Amino acid sequence: MSAVVEVSHLTRRFGDTTAVDDVSFSVQKNTIHGLLGRNGAGKTTLMQLLTGQDFATRGEIRVFGEQPVENSGVLKNVCFIKESQRYPDDFKPRHVFTSAPWFFPNWDAALADRLIADFRLPLNRRIKKLSRGQLSAIGVIVGLASRAPLTFFDEPYLGLDAVARQIFYDRLLEDFGEHPRTVILSTHLIDEVSNLLEHVLVIDEGKLLIDQDAETLRGSATTVVGTRQGVDAFVADREVLHRDGVGGLASVTVGRLTPQDRARATEMGLELSPVSLQQLVVRLTGSSRTSSSQTVLEQSA
Amino acid sequence: MDDSRPIFVQIAELIENDIIAGALPEEAQVPSTNEFAAFHRINPATAGKGVNVLVDDGILYKKRGIGMFVASGARDRLVAKRRDQFQNEFIAPLMVEAEKLGIGEAQLIDMIRKEGTA
Amino acid sequence: MSTLTQPALDEARIDRPGRASNILAVVRLHLVNRYSVFAVPWMIMAGIFVVNVAIWWIIFASVSNEADRMDARDGLEYSGALFYIFVYMLVLGIQSVAYTFPFALGFSVTRRDFWLGSALTFIALSAFFSACLTVLASIEVATHGWGLGGTMFASFYFGGADASWIERFGLYFASYLFFYFVGATIATIYQRWRNNGMLVVFGTLGLVMIAGIALVSFTNSWPSVGAWFDSNGPSGVIAWSLVPTVIAAITGYFILRRATPKN
Repeated sequence: MSAVVEVSHLTRRFGDTTAVDDVSFSVQKNTIHGLLGRNGAGKTTLMQLLTGQDFATRGEIRVFGEQPVENSGVLKNVCFIKESQRYPDDFKPRHVFTSAPWFFPNWDAALADRLIADFRLPLNRRIKKLSRGQLSAIGVIVGLASRAPLTFFDEPYLGLDAVARQIFYDRLLEDFGEHPRTVILSTHLIDEVSNLLEHVLVIDEGKLLIDQDAETLRGSATTVVGTRQGVDAFVADREVLHRDGVGGLASVTVGRLTPQDRARATEMGLELSPVSLQQLVVRLTGSSRTSSSQTVLEQSA
Repeated sequence: MDDSRPIFVQIAELIENDIIAGALPEEAQVPSTNEFAAFHRINPATAGKGVNVLVDDGILYKKRGIGMFVASGARDRLVAKRRDQFQNEFIAPLMVEAEKLGIGEAQLIDMIRKEGTA
Repeated sequence: MSTLTQPALDEARIDRPGRASNILAVVRLHLVNRYSVFAVPWMIMAGIFVVNVAIWWIIFASVSNEADRMDARDGLEYSGALFYIFVYMLVLGIQSVAYTFPFALGFSVTRRDFWLGSALTFIALSAFFSACLTVLASIEVATHGWGLGGTMFASFYFGGADASWIERFGLYFASYLFFYFVGATIATIYQRWRNNGMLVVFGTLGLVMIAGIALVSFTNSWPSVGAWFDSNGPSGVIAWSLVPTVIAAITGYFILRRATPKN
């Protein structure tokens, strides 16, 4: 499997702030990647660096084997949909869809038409007068219909209601199945997209915390619930990610459990409940990152 | 899909369940990876991984250019495997719960009999 | 990926075109919304023309003496009516960068392709508009001021009544280019350095202008300045404007080269 994007010790500083801090990873071809993290973690900056829209302070980026800045050969195969996209003043959606094919060689007009109908986008209304959801729909449609071999979606669903978001996920999956391409999707609605992702990158305060296959990450933490003594006995020799409790009940999140561990827990009368990807990411990027979360990160590396 | 186990494992199980229940008879064609992915709203690679597990186990086989099919003898093999797992998956937890509630062995057997005739 | 169950997948092609194709796409992008680029300039010109016709009619209706009419006609030669048309080109220049650049960046266009494509677009548009003005000027001269003795297109600043059409075309063309590139370059300053940049650049420019005025005043050089304008005439001044035009065109590119879509 070839790497479509390779990043090595990438750093981006804005004065005192380090938005992207010594990040290294690679992105495999034809996979859906999730770029997860809190607001302000550095997701947008990272995507802007990868698409040549921003310039690195240090480090190397290779997209399709070449550095992307001012490289029209590379950028023609890249589509970057961001939620803050500006449009010329009196543009209407139809201007956007008329001009997009000139820039994206793989543009599929039939798919675009279908999506316009799905999202009920008014083609002849001034973009200034569109709702936030309709504005996002334009971005989503361009991103999907572009069929760009490398497509970035930076929180593209702002303003889209749950139905519209589901349409986006469904169309993305459908198109990805028939016409594979490399997709990098940044979001903080992790649970919604969790099942779509094949690979997960988690960024926190500019640093890359997790670079892991999604399936491996999914089983990497479990919550043990039961009586305080029972739970404490079970988790005694393990690293604890999170502790919670009410009265005589305790709920403790620990790292990966083997089938034997699980059997033992059941025998002890403890309940095991799964930890969703969202909960896992929330725990790991919460305000106090303890040494125990470090261990989970190391375990899953 | 739940969060407790990897999704590809769950996909494999769903297909196994269909085979055991008879919904997917032997030599029948199984839906494509893309169809699974779209239906369950999961990544096609994950769906593919689940299908591959069953190919490796000899439950499914591929016909080049056509698709995936249920292998002959698959149902029998699956039933045998499930029987082996039955003890750990159902009996053990049953006993734990019964002990918690103070239900004795004789009472348990009665309950099983009652369930059988119902 | 286990894709053996599917027929050969239609993967998105990795396209490696030459440079030219994206520049033309930028040209098309500027022209896709025909209203502001074609309709509005004509509307402005039509509006100014109508206003001027009304003024000429009023003047010549209220002045019956032939000598006074000659005076009036001479005066009208110095018509600055076209000025607003060129100012609109300044607006188009600013808009081409302020609005279309962030959008083009979102369409994965390189800054180089954008600048070249924009320059190409507006050089072509300037040529087109200039040709139209030249034709209108010829008609104006042929009809002795639209039958009313007025002057708008063949004004003193653009060659007067005697200029050849080549000279007139050149004057219009140079003026359009000047306003386009100045406008576009001003907009690049905002794209690169945002509000702070604008303040610094225009503050500095203001100071430099004041310093220049002070220098000229203290060395009593205003007469020389006037003499320079006089000896060059409008044609000379407009020809000299090509120098700042070219400087703006080059500077704008270098400013835009490091512009980013900072939110």
